[in-house]
Amino acid sequence: MSAGAGGALRRLGDRRRYRLADTALAAWIGTLTVLTVYGAVTTTGFMTVSNVKAILTAASFVGIIAVGLTLIVLSGNLFSLALGQTVAVTAMFFLYSLQWGLGPAIVMTLLLGLAIGAVQGFAVGAWGANPIIITIGAAGLMEGLAVWLSHGQSIVPPVSATSYERLAQPLFGVPFAIFVFLALTVVVEVAMRRTRFGRQIYLLGENRVSARAAALPITLLTTAAFALASLFTAGAGVLIGATSQNASLLLTGSYTYDAIAAALVGGNAVTGGKGSVLRTAAGAIFIATISDMLLLRGYSTGGQILVRGIIVVVVVVLMNLRERSR
Amino acid sequence: MSALRISKARAVGVSRIVPYAILAVMIATMVLLPVVTSYTLRTAYVYDILQNFSSYGLVALALGITIMAGEFDLSVSSMYLLGGMVAVLTGNGSPLAGVLAALGAAVIVGCVQGGLISYFRLNSMPVTLGGYLVVLGLTYILGHSKSVIYENYDVGLRLDEPIAQVFSIRSLITLGIFVLAALALRYLRVGRDIRSIGGDRRAARVAGVRVDRLLVFVFIMSAIGAALPGALLSYSLATASPTNIGFDVLTFSATAALLGGVSLSGGRGSPVGIAAGVLSLSVLQEILSIVRSPDYVSSLITGGLLVAVTILWAPDISRWFKTTRVATAHYR
Amino acid sequence: MNDERDPAPPAGSRRLSGSPAEGDVLLEVEALSKSYGPVRAIQSLTLDVRAGEVHAVCGHNGAGKSTLVKALVGLVRPDEGTIRFGGEELSLRNPQDAQAHGIALVNQELSLVPELSVEDNIFLGGIDVPLLYRRRSLSERARRTLDELGLEHVSLNAAVESLAIGERQLVEIARLLVREARLLILDEPTATLSKPEIERVFRATRELVAQGRSVIFVSHRLDEVFDLCQRVTVLRDGRVAGTHTIGEIDRRSLIDLMLGEMEGAAAARLHVSEPAQSGGEAVRIEGLDVPGRVDGFSLTLERGIITGLAGQVGSGTSTVLRALGGLVPDSSGAVEVMGRPARLNTPRRALQGGILYMPNDRQREGLFLGQAVESNLTVARLRRLSRLGVVVRRRSLRVARELATMVGVDVGRLGSPVSSLSGGNQQKVLLGRALQLKGVVLLALDEPTRGVDVGGRADIHELVREAARGGTAVIFSSTELDEVLDLADVVVTMFAGRIVSVIPRAKASAASVLADMTTSQPRDGEVQQ
Repeated sequence: MSAGAGGALRRLGDRRRYRLADTALAAWIGTLTVLTVYGAVTTTGFMTVSNVKAILTAASFVGIIAVGLTLIVLSGNLFSLALGQTVAVTAMFFLYSLQWGLGPAIVMTLLLGLAIGAVQGFAVGAWGANPIIITIGAAGLMEGLAVWLSHGQSIVPPVSATSYERLAQPLFGVPFAIFVFLALTVVVEVAMRRTRFGRQIYLLGENRVSARAAALPITLLTTAAFALASLFTAGAGVLIGATSQNASLLLTGSYTYDAIAAALVGGNAVTGGKGSVLRTAAGAIFIATISDMLLLRGYSTGGQILVRGIIVVVVVVLMNLRERSR
Repeated sequence: MSALRISKARAVGVSRIVPYAILAVMIATMVLLPVVTSYTLRTAYVYDILQNFSSYGLVALALGITIMAGEFDLSVSSMYLLGGMVAVLTGNGSPLAGVLAALGAAVIVGCVQGGLISYFRLNSMPVTLGGYLVVLGLTYILGHSKSVIYENYDVGLRLDEPIAQVFSIRSLITLGIFVLAALALRYLRVGRDIRSIGGDRRAARVAGVRVDRLLVFVFIMSAIGAALPGALLSYSLATASPTNIGFDVLTFSATAALLGGVSLSGGRGSPVGIAAGVLSLSVLQEILSIVRSPDYVSSLITGGLLVAVTILWAPDISRWFKTTRVATAHYR
Repeated sequence: MNDERDPAPPAGSRRLSGSPAEGDVLLEVEALSKSYGPVRAIQSLTLDVRAGEVHAVCGHNGAGKSTLVKALVGLVRPDEGTIRFGGEELSLRNPQDAQAHGIALVNQELSLVPELSVEDNIFLGGIDVPLLYRRRSLSERARRTLDELGLEHVSLNAAVESLAIGERQLVEIARLLVREARLLILDEPTATLSKPEIERVFRATRELVAQGRSVIFVSHRLDEVFDLCQRVTVLRDGRVAGTHTIGEIDRRSLIDLMLGEMEGAAAARLHVSEPAQSGGEAVRIEGLDVPGRVDGFSLTLERGIITGLAGQVGSGTSTVLRALGGLVPDSSGAVEVMGRPARLNTPRRALQGGILYMPNDRQREGLFLGQAVESNLTVARLRRLSRLGVVVRRRSLRVARELATMVGVDVGRLGSPVSSLSGGNQQKVLLGRALQLKGVVLLALDEPTRGVDVGGRADIHELVREAARGGTAVIFSSTELDEVLDLADVVVTMFAGRIVSVIPRAKASAASVLADMTTSQPRDGEVQQ
């Protein structure tokens, strides 16, 4: 193991290493494409309109969360491990607050999400607290609060309120969440490229020390990155709550990892500063496609999780090699 | 006119006592509990605390040592489940063989993760996140997405049978490993070297420490620390399940390790401190179960403690206080 | 005479057995050359170090000291020439190799782990340390070594982070002694030390040579050279300008040896630049203190005037600028910008107050290497380039293009990452970021031309002068004499955290500035208060 590929690569000259890493990445993408196309052609029921819709729907919930998470990744703060809990808590709050009407319920839920993220982001930005541990702790706190306030019951919308059902209904024959996901991806992508905030996030993620010396508002930017991630997650919480019509901590599910996996598989640099929301969206769709295909071919949950994990590890290794050879 | 004010850096020597102080507070609360409630102290409670201790203690120990080495291992929570699953599936004939199989799986997982992290110089967070998914997937596959029953009930009963009223084989094994780890980290070269790569990796490398090899070792140990208690707990419950998704194990062990004085910036901490951290949380859980408080209180307190300790250890916190104090000083 | 195969002597013996007798040559460097591309760092350098001697190597920046040191410890492979050590010709591949032969380097970046104990640090990474390393014999050996170095008061169990910097340096030396180093290279060992600490290091050094070991002492501080060393070798432009016995040379001639032809060249340049016009007081600094680094720094900076802070590494010049830039929360004192008190607790506050700090380490603290040149150039003025939070592309590109043209960076590269530019161009981008900013009263440039070649340096100096002509006050730090003399209108020299002298450029000479940079004697008569 000691004379492994890493050692070999390190011994090569810079230029050759660059080519090798690029070739490896291209080979990897090629392999995945071939496998996907092969799977698409040979899997019965894959190439149907309804299945494509199913894939996009699956991708959209995770995708909305992952787009938000990307802001945290780009700002150089690794990732958040509290997003799944944020989904559950906001979905519960949304269904509960429907008693005050749909509009207020959505607004209040989004504000709740914003606040949850802002608090975590402030600890990370102002004090340099470790983002992973802070978000693990926040997840524990949210679980506790959610059970406490809901008395351990799952939340159902008030009988009189039916307005929320519109959110769960398809628009032009396509699930509403897909529109939200695609629109959010485009808007955030453009915003990250065009706005001052976006540029500053990239700069902060690139080099926090330089950012401090260059007088960038580090606390504000970090707080905003976490707050927005949490806000978008609350948006997903609204849609998920409206769809399932019944919310409890069980909704936490695997959203946390799925979102992180999407951002990593899309090829965003874990260390920050490089990547884009588009990549994350592509990652989310790719993972949903693979999962769907495996499901149709009769693979178990375990197989799907396993494949996801392997893809994450390989992408992380390849992206790192490529980054270092630059 | 005054623009800037000095504030002397305060000594951090106090932080060494913190783990034991917290433990003392927990124990005092427990002992004083009869004053406010109708319960009386019983040795059974001590037994329960030690059982709690042995369910998660080793994970906290392993994670704590990983943090000491300046890394992190998110995969411990699924490794815990895989350990149980492998042990239950392979240990029907001989429970020892089951445990050994679980440890073997852990060694493989640790080798792969540690190897990738050290040879490619990767950040351990994304790698162990991928590792978490892979290991969880394997657990599902092995258990066919279901809970698996361990037929050999006697093993569990034997493991948990009270010894001298308060101990059990399971808790004695755990305590024994803690003692060994404490001795090893104190007296063997490897303890010093682990702290050195967490404290200042560049300096350690320059001084001649073989950093890469050590990292692989740390991740192997981390996986073993999760798989062993997972296997023992599965025997004890006579069941193994892949469905315990979530960070329960991770939250508990990270909180215990940080309460135990392990520094997130690496290089600082000791098995004795981690043991104090685990004991604190175990006593806390026992108190909560004695007063029949609902589960959420435990999550709230654990989550709150974790956030508080993380902020306390945060690297920029002193700078923040300094700069805000200077800012307000001017207005006065 | 010297048998390499002799068993290692027990540590702590008063004399090293098996080492050459005092006065014999231990290290012989012959005709050593090393080039980096077209730049010849050292050229046919010849030097010898005797057993039991402290041998000083002097020369100002760029003279080739660091290349020589790197070659001796295996960090750099020389192109030509030989290194003979104890009679054996060495071909060193890495520092471990050098250590195995008994040559060890102590520089400012210590390789101690702060969290570990003194004893653990001494034995950290040693090859011959047994698995069960807590042995009484080892502890005793560590104790003896520490005692020899004058660290009787330091406990073996104390954490290294609890020690003063000077003590840490001695612990690092102790580690090397335990590993049987026979030649210690101390590279600027005193730069960050206080006076009593320097005394302690000196005492230890004398003890080492009394045991028959040898020390190469690389320093700018001439007082210390005269105090500690037996011989001195002066390097200039990569060559040996002369080796002298300390008793036979005085301070003045040593400075002349270091300067060579420079005095004339710098003087010639002076006539080219016209005297600067002061535009009135811009920033007044009073009693700036940074614990352990800067002591009572007071200075008034005027608009249109370039002030050069001359001082060696560790003299506090850089810390003064960092404090002005809001990066030193420990600092205290009073700073007024245009007559108004400024709060300098964060870089943002400093910038709002009108002070812009440009870091000296462009890779680590200055630039955003992976981001586009345009992003880097506009980072400090994004607010003015955007409307309602949206960066106006046209405006941003136009400004970036203007700045790039001004600093001489290829406009076609605006979209490429800064990391793809050469070092000199990277530095120009960093400077460009600071230029033409509204509201900036003072530019604090920390080593504005570090690692930049001669041509790039002239360009950057011209840009700084241009900024000053525009009415900005400029203060910069430099460890390089000719840069200070070339660029500054007022020369301020610092030593060990204090101002030594404040002299108008017209009255400053290379020799006087170098003398002030290298002495601990403040020349009270010339300090303006």
